[in-house]
Amino acid sequence: MVDFLSQYSIQRWLEMCPQGYLDGTVYGHDPGETEAPEILEVDSLREASIAVTVQLIAGERCALAASSGLINCAPDDASKTFLATQTLDEARHVEIFTQRLMDLGVKKENVNSTVADLANPHLVKFAETLLEKVSDGDFVAGVVGQNIILEGMAFSVFELLQASAAGNPKFAKTLAGTIADERRHVGFGENRIGSLIREHPEKKAEVQAMQAEMSYHMLATFTDMFSDAGQRMEEAKQLVADKEDNPLEGVTWHGADLMSATPDVMEAVLADTVLNEFRTRLDRIGIEYQSPKVPARA
Amino acid sequence: MNDDLDTVTAPATATATDEPPRRTYELEETGFREVPKRWRRFYRIWQGEGDTLAPNEVICPVCKVVIRSRRELRPGDRVYCMPCMSRLVVVRNADGGLEAEVVY
Amino acid sequence: MTNVDDSWEPHLLDEDEFIREVQSFTFWFEAVEGYLGDRPYGHDPDLPEAALGEIERDQLVTILCNYCVGETAALEASSGLVRLAATNPSQIFMATQVADEARHVEVFRRRLEDLGVADVDGEIARRANPELSEFRRQLLEFVDAGQWELAVFAQNVLLETMEDTVFRYHATVADPVTAQVLDGVIADERRHLGFGENDLGRRLARYPMRRAELAEVRARLDPLILASFEATYRDLGLSRAEAPELGRSYLEAVERLGLAG
Repeated sequence: MVDFLSQYSIQRWLEMCPQGYLDGTVYGHDPGETEAPEILEVDSLREASIAVTVQLIAGERCALAASSGLINCAPDDASKTFLATQTLDEARHVEIFTQRLMDLGVKKENVNSTVADLANPHLVKFAETLLEKVSDGDFVAGVVGQNIILEGMAFSVFELLQASAAGNPKFAKTLAGTIADERRHVGFGENRIGSLIREHPEKKAEVQAMQAEMSYHMLATFTDMFSDAGQRMEEAKQLVADKEDNPLEGVTWHGADLMSATPDVMEAVLADTVLNEFRTRLDRIGIEYQSPKVPARA
Repeated sequence: MNDDLDTVTAPATATATDEPPRRTYELEETGFREVPKRWRRFYRIWQGEGDTLAPNEVICPVCKVVIRSRRELRPGDRVYCMPCMSRLVVVRNADGGLEAEVVY
Repeated sequence: MTNVDDSWEPHLLDEDEFIREVQSFTFWFEAVEGYLGDRPYGHDPDLPEAALGEIERDQLVTILCNYCVGETAALEASSGLVRLAATNPSQIFMATQVADEARHVEVFRRRLEDLGVADVDGEIARRANPELSEFRRQLLEFVDAGQWELAVFAQNVLLETMEDTVFRYHATVADPVTAQVLDGVIADERRHLGFGENDLGRRLARYPMRRAELAEVRARLDPLILASFEATYRDLGLSRAEAPELGRSYLEAVERLGLAG
């Protein structure tokens, strides 16, 4: 039942992460690397980067609270051990994105107020839906919410941001480390929860309802984030295009050309990608995917 | 014990008071590995009976590690114990030696 | 992270910088890399096993089973405390403690397997000291009730200080492999007990009226934890008179916090 978890031991985690792909990094990137100059010099781009980073912090804080909270209700020691490594991964993500916020010019004493002010209300609802399950000690719903829904969303969002950060090696490297972490998290979610769902089929309806609710808040967050992004995206593309060697030239993400795609197109591609991932993963563990309500556009 | 470990390099600038100038120390690695590399020379394991503190050293009362400074320590100096995260101030004890008190 | 040059030393950091440095993930992983990098599962893989007699082995199994109970309690409690932490650095620190405690459970369980224990869970259940199990129950009650101060006192001051004393003594008399495993655990415990005392110390300086409640909890939990660790000393073959001053470090800590008496 838990044999696959032996590869997620603390020892293996130490060898893979601190001694592996994070070795020699500082806050997730190479020492001495800085944000791309245009982000620091152009106010609107800096503000957009701050807004995006705040959502990452809000998501990672939720993941930190959820993964630590699930340890107590985990049914076996191997799962507790894995979740302990995940807790530390999530704490590292909170730390590196918080550091990025400060690298973008937010003063240390203003970090929490900035996160509170700019965290998207739908993302907060998304987190509350998950943390309610964790607080209730519901391991099955908690792991589906955390390691399939939240991590599945994060995985795709990080990949999109990494592709978009082709001209910003510092942020791209930071994201590469978090993506490597997320791979373990989604893997655990599927592998561990699949057997638990088979043992507790009565949980399916509740888990499906949670998935629909979390998916709705996720889509609403995407809508909010992209609805105001048009002008800034154009500005960023123009700055990149003006570079002698355009790092985004020919870069695509799930079929969308990052230089020419409109915000509406990018939102649709991201939403489709994440929801398709949900559908596939949930299907593998025996949960029927629920199409979420479509959020109204502002 | 620790004078063997480090080099006393030069006296610090004399102050306006009657106090003699502080000695400064060039710290060597001690084999302590419980903090990141850049901080390791500032700490060492207390060896127990037979061990003595150099003038630039004081014991952390919380975790018993020896805290070391580049300069001779005096009452009122602030030191940090990174292995246990304590903030401390150096005081003179009843025996006339130096010890550290935790500052919360 | 602070750049250092030849004139720099950690004692020159301002307090905020110091806290942010020592409670960071980066500090944690560079620290543990120092003493665990060449010790998978807590010990040098080439270190030969000492030949243990049957009684000695059996006593070691009992001791390690109870270490597992204590470390599992700390894992469950510290994971619950992540959500209750009031600041980002303390939340990140608590996450590093979660991983430390999980590693302790892992290395002690692994050691039990090395010693030939086939059913680790069953053995732990059979040999668990009842006082330690009761302590675990009460600790988790504090966590579930969201009582940060009581839980940090019980876990990071009471449990960790006692463990630190016992592990240190045990490391001096243990077989070489167990001693190395304990060395790594002791290095971790330094961070945990230091965090607990410093966090509580600051809180009590600000809210001295909280001392009464902590003193009451102390009176309730002291006998449980003392009894369980005295049992460990017995398993180490020590008479009461021979045992080191078990509670001294702990009593010093509660005195510094103003909880003595």
